[in-house]
Amino acid sequence: MLIHRKNNWEIAGSLVTSEADYLNRRRFLKAVGLGVGSLVGGNALWGATAGFPSEPNPNFLGKSLEPTPYDLITGYNNFYEFSYDKSGPAKLANKGWKTEPWSLEIAGMVDNPMTFDVNDLIRKMGGIEQRVYRLRCVEAWSMVVPWDGFALNKLVKLASPKSSAKYVKFVSFYNPEEAPGQRGGSIDWPYVEGLTIEEANNELAFLATGIYGKPIPNQNGAPIRLVVPWKYGFKSGKSIVRIEFTDTQPVNTWQALQPREYGFYANVNPKVDHPRWSQASERVIGGGFFGGRQPTLMFNGYEEQVGHLYEGLDLRKHF
Amino acid sequence: MKRQARILRSGWLLYAALCLPLVVVFIQAGQGNVEYLADPAKFLLEFMGKAAVVFLVVTMAVTPLRQLFPKSDLFKALAFRRRQLGIAVFVYALLHLLLYVPYIGSWEAFADEWSKLFILSGLVALALLLVLALTSNNWSVRKLGGKGWKRLHKLTYVAAALVIYHQVAQEKTGYRETLVYFGPLLALEAVRLGRWWKNRIPSVQSPSRETG
Repeated sequence: MLIHRKNNWEIAGSLVTSEADYLNRRRFLKAVGLGVGSLVGGNALWGATAGFPSEPNPNFLGKSLEPTPYDLITGYNNFYEFSYDKSGPAKLANKGWKTEPWSLEIAGMVDNPMTFDVNDLIRKMGGIEQRVYRLRCVEAWSMVVPWDGFALNKLVKLASPKSSAKYVKFVSFYNPEEAPGQRGGSIDWPYVEGLTIEEANNELAFLATGIYGKPIPNQNGAPIRLVVPWKYGFKSGKSIVRIEFTDTQPVNTWQALQPREYGFYANVNPKVDHPRWSQASERVIGGGFFGGRQPTLMFNGYEEQVGHLYEGLDLRKHF
Repeated sequence: MKRQARILRSGWLLYAALCLPLVVVFIQAGQGNVEYLADPAKFLLEFMGKAAVVFLVVTMAVTPLRQLFPKSDLFKALAFRRRQLGIAVFVYALLHLLLYVPYIGSWEAFADEWSKLFILSGLVALALLLVLALTSNNWSVRKLGGKGWKRLHKLTYVAAALVIYHQVAQEKTGYRETLVYFGPLLALEAVRLGRWWKNRIPSVQSPSRETG
């Protein structure tokens, strides 16, 4: 029998949700046909791209974290490939952009370079699991998302990086015909993100293929996206086509755009402000007009799991 | 005065137009706009800021438009109502500031933020708009004299420059959104500057031609 160890990032529910929001959520879950019991009780759910059963991982239930309603997670998105507005991607990413079938390439300094169809990859990874993670955007808002997918370290193991590989680079799709945001503008597409190999191997790093036990919608980065819950949201690249192991630190898209404001690490840190706004607290999406503020936690509440990765690093300099 | 011109100048039409942003925002909130549901303080904050910017651009566009289209009844009516338009800019900018407090969380948090150049530029612009709003009555015009009043209200250009900085600074990348709002005004000002330059050249050049 699995005994659930309470993690320190599972802060008290009273800090997260009012009763009214809780009742709203129940109503919402009913509306989308998910029983509350199926979410917390650990029953198998349908998830991933083509309907893989998703089993909640008992170590990442995020007990006492109240998931953000499905329609806000899937209706309020930063996805500049489609729109600069947050409500734009839900419309514009579903105008014929095909995310299935989808190839993912594993390349660079690895023993086993390969290209997979995402569904085959999921099968190879032994299916998917559900984890409830916080998501903290650099714009000072946050959500709680029940992701379905698999641990990134499984894929790293499969790729078998050479000892010279120090970083992992994640390249998102490039298709200006389908993605209006990729036609012109000041961003050098495709979107690029990166992690150190130690970060990629951390138990929390995740590749998501579903949300709430359902295939991940296009606007959330279908069919496969990165989820790095202790870093600001922009680190979690969407709709990835290529994962490359390299010995040089990748220049991620936002760092290239504004090196003074966005760094390589982008760890959630309430003590290091963005040059234009404070990062000390965050607005909870769906939290209402006055009730939506809560303090931001170091490493987004995952300090125990990831703090050791940054020992001796000046987080003010390496923001 | 023609009937159409009289209607365009009517106070009721003006106040309806000035309230339009409030009507739009109520409809959007009522219809469950997802950006409002997700983050209402941010949505309302940005909406009121944009409403203030739109009225600022309209107010400043009145004179160049009237010079370009001297016969237009609409632009004549706008010129007639320009001071009220200017007060609307201040009112929406004030709403924008008041919404910043719930957005940022508390007065304490606001006190920590105000010294940032990005916030400070908005606050100084609002202070200037306050001065302009307070002097937008007949008594002030009489008291300051036509010339003095006009000179004081040239501060609008300073306020606009601060607002442009304030708006660009909140964009995550580039200045495209700010350009959408201020682009038409900048184009009108460029036309005005071009005309002024053209009218000026003969008087400057003709003496040199004679001596040359």
